[in-house]
Amino acid sequence: MNTMKINLIVNGQSRSVEAPPGKTLLYLLRDDLDLLGTKDGCREGECGACTVLLDGEPVNACLVLAGQVDGREVVTIEGLSQNGHLHPLQRHFVEAGAVQCGFCTPGLIMSSAALLEQNPQPTEEQIRHALVGNLCRCTGYTKVFEAVQHAAEEVDRD
Amino acid sequence: MTELKTVGQSVIRKDVWDKVTGEATYADDASLPTMLHMKMVFAETPHARIRKLETAAAENHPGVVAIFTAKDLPSNVMGMVTQDQQVFCDEKVRFEGDQVCAIVAETAAQANAAAKLVQIEYDDLPVLDSPFQAMESGAALIHEDKPGNLCHQVRLRVGDADAALAEADVVIEREYFTPWQEHAYLEPEAGLAYIDDEGRVTVRASGQNTHDDLRQICAALDLPEDQVRVVYGAIGGAFGGREDVSVQIALALAAWKLQRPVKIRWSREESIKGHGKRHPITIRHKWGARSDGTLLAAKTEVITDAGAYNSTSSEVLTNFYYAAIGAYQIPNVSMDGFSAFTNNVPGCAFRGFGSPQATFAAELQIEHIAEALNLDPVTIRLKNCVRDGATIATQSEIPPGVSLPALIEACANELGAEQKGNGWEMPIVESEKPHKRRGIGMAAGMKNSGFGWGFPEGSEARVVLHGQADIERVELFTAAADCGQGAHNVLAQVAAEALNVPLEVVETVTSDTATIGDAGPASASRLTIFAGQAVKQAADQALEKWHNEDRPAVGGGRWDAPLTTPPDPETGACFNSITYAYGVQAVEIEVDMETGEIEILNIVAAHDPGRAVNPQQVIGQLQGGIIQAQGWALTENFLSQGGYVQTDRLSTYLIPTSLDAVSEIKFVLLEQPDTIGPYGVRGVGEIGILLLAPALVSALHDATGVWFDRIPLTPERVISGLQTA
Repeated sequence: MNTMKINLIVNGQSRSVEAPPGKTLLYLLRDDLDLLGTKDGCREGECGACTVLLDGEPVNACLVLAGQVDGREVVTIEGLSQNGHLHPLQRHFVEAGAVQCGFCTPGLIMSSAALLEQNPQPTEEQIRHALVGNLCRCTGYTKVFEAVQHAAEEVDRD
Repeated sequence: MTELKTVGQSVIRKDVWDKVTGEATYADDASLPTMLHMKMVFAETPHARIRKLETAAAENHPGVVAIFTAKDLPSNVMGMVTQDQQVFCDEKVRFEGDQVCAIVAETAAQANAAAKLVQIEYDDLPVLDSPFQAMESGAALIHEDKPGNLCHQVRLRVGDADAALAEADVVIEREYFTPWQEHAYLEPEAGLAYIDDEGRVTVRASGQNTHDDLRQICAALDLPEDQVRVVYGAIGGAFGGREDVSVQIALALAAWKLQRPVKIRWSREESIKGHGKRHPITIRHKWGARSDGTLLAAKTEVITDAGAYNSTSSEVLTNFYYAAIGAYQIPNVSMDGFSAFTNNVPGCAFRGFGSPQATFAAELQIEHIAEALNLDPVTIRLKNCVRDGATIATQSEIPPGVSLPALIEACANELGAEQKGNGWEMPIVESEKPHKRRGIGMAAGMKNSGFGWGFPEGSEARVVLHGQADIERVELFTAAADCGQGAHNVLAQVAAEALNVPLEVVETVTSDTATIGDAGPASASRLTIFAGQAVKQAADQALEKWHNEDRPAVGGGRWDAPLTTPPDPETGACFNSITYAYGVQAVEIEVDMETGEIEILNIVAAHDPGRAVNPQQVIGQLQGGIIQAQGWALTENFLSQGGYVQTDRLSTYLIPTSLDAVSEIKFVLLEQPDTIGPYGVRGVGEIGILLLAPALVSALHDATGVWFDRIPLTPERVISGLQTA
């Protein structure tokens, strides 16, 4: 299979990967870059467990091809904490009880992070809309909304 | 209640820190050097004899290391209750998700490509895709040794139902149907098998009981239990769907034969086609009551679709002995239940284990009787519900501490219902929009915890105390599966409480058959109760040894629960369960009369956790159960035609999203301690899912005056029902 050299910035670091251009970003991250926090739940962009930020925008990594990320910047769940400090979303997901099985959690947090970047004080309705592409089967979402709101309050205070 | 320190606190779960950073290791996240990749070849046809399995082309594909078929297994059978399923089919296939062979190659791409080269020649057999068709005389046999395609049958007789029905002032006869439900846990099946440092065939996968997986692997491979090991990492949800093995035996076989690590991950389509579902069930009820609302008799027929293999169909049907009449006292009951094999995906365990289906039908019967007698939903339930001292349908006394009457009143009060005279006045709700209507519905229920029905019930645990003057570090060993429900943390809380140490010093060593014995499965709302008692016993023993100066001090072993008894085959009489969870929910909805869309406005959920070990996690279990019920009742429309699943993706099988989630659930938690679990706990894993579906149907009737007898209440079904009414 033909491969191409793909240069990208992942979690702030320049990375270079030799991969088939048709490989999905999901498996570029998981197999080639050993970033396993991005999860494979459906491979059709429905569940959102593979949500990452591509140039700051939330995308389903299973629907993005390796060839499309050349020269671009990707942030995964592993890149969200800074200088060893958890992102407020990560802490508030824990504290609010918004995590049960946790398989959807990285994707939910990445979508929430993108939301808070664009809208630091979202209403519950805005949070619901921002997370509609992230399925969770365990929690019933209520505690997820709480976690995002608490994180927003903290970010706003800082 | 006694003053407790750790039990009763909403402490933060230790395991979730790794889940928010992406560091938690799920089944597909573990890898080893020199690892091979497996691809399963499925039947892809629902009922056929295998004429020829041709694997030569696949074997010659680059990178292919081995192809495993039926002949490679010393004992080619599996099944948790009855061993009626081949690991790899070599004679016939009975549903499209049957596994025929497994390709192992150097890369996943090579294994996938080679799988396409496997040729299976079939002689097609008649496809039976409904239990009614399967039970017709002359129907083709799916299992040759199962005449009439009968998987299981139950018969209950108490009193004289026919005579009592003849004397009843009101008789309601209706037929209900509840559909399949797909678990849709977010993590599809995956696993890694390898030979560990001590030469054991080790399988690391996601399941609900390491030791059940171990026993099935050992049986199929004919290996002693000390040569096999099963380990669970983080598990991405289960809800009953991981009780049966999926990839475990094939992985173990490959690693054992090849002496190299082997990995597999299923796609979502493979997961949906390859694992069982909540049983579709038809329930025919004929109930009679006196004019004052007192229930006199129930005559009931239950028909469940077992699918291609038993899985736990026999046990799900067994639960109907008590559950068919809901949470009510009825002195005369005649119930016949049949579970029939079909060529559909097997019915298996799913949160509630038959109770959501049974509760759906029983709660609607109650509503119909109330309507016929002009009684309100609270009064009729209070009049008939189980109470302390009540005899249930299995002719045994219900275990003490029945909190259902209190929960009915608590739910009614929270809803705004008012007790007036001999009845309760329900709030009247109206939509402000001309094309919409509002309504309120209520449902009550109970769910047994633990196996019951005469199966031995218990759990193992071990506690090791380290330190000199003070206990500095505690190791808690348990095989209890944490599928996401938080079992490990709850068990650590129980240990900390029993030892009177801070939770921080308790380290859990979990879900590894090499380190601890069987805790029993994460099922039947049972772990906090039974694994909890084992942990408490281990902690108490360790503490006693600590006081006797043992360093380290070790306690543990098996805790055995009080016995239950099996049902009498003629009457169903038995002592079926030692503990129940109770719950009552009410829902207010708004229905669009033009589109048929239903919006849930708010829910009241009154439940009794006995003692909430971790209130935040109790609420989490209830919320999760409620939204799964919402999906089952409204959007999850699992379709299968002629044995072929039509909704094999998350884009066609619609589980609730963040926009669907109900914004307001008011929880009322009454803590009435039970006598079986540690510190009075009751199981709360399942009860949350039992009640919303019937409450929604009642609310829809309240809003529109039209009754529905089946779910899901898709807009199409609602509109069609409103038009034909």
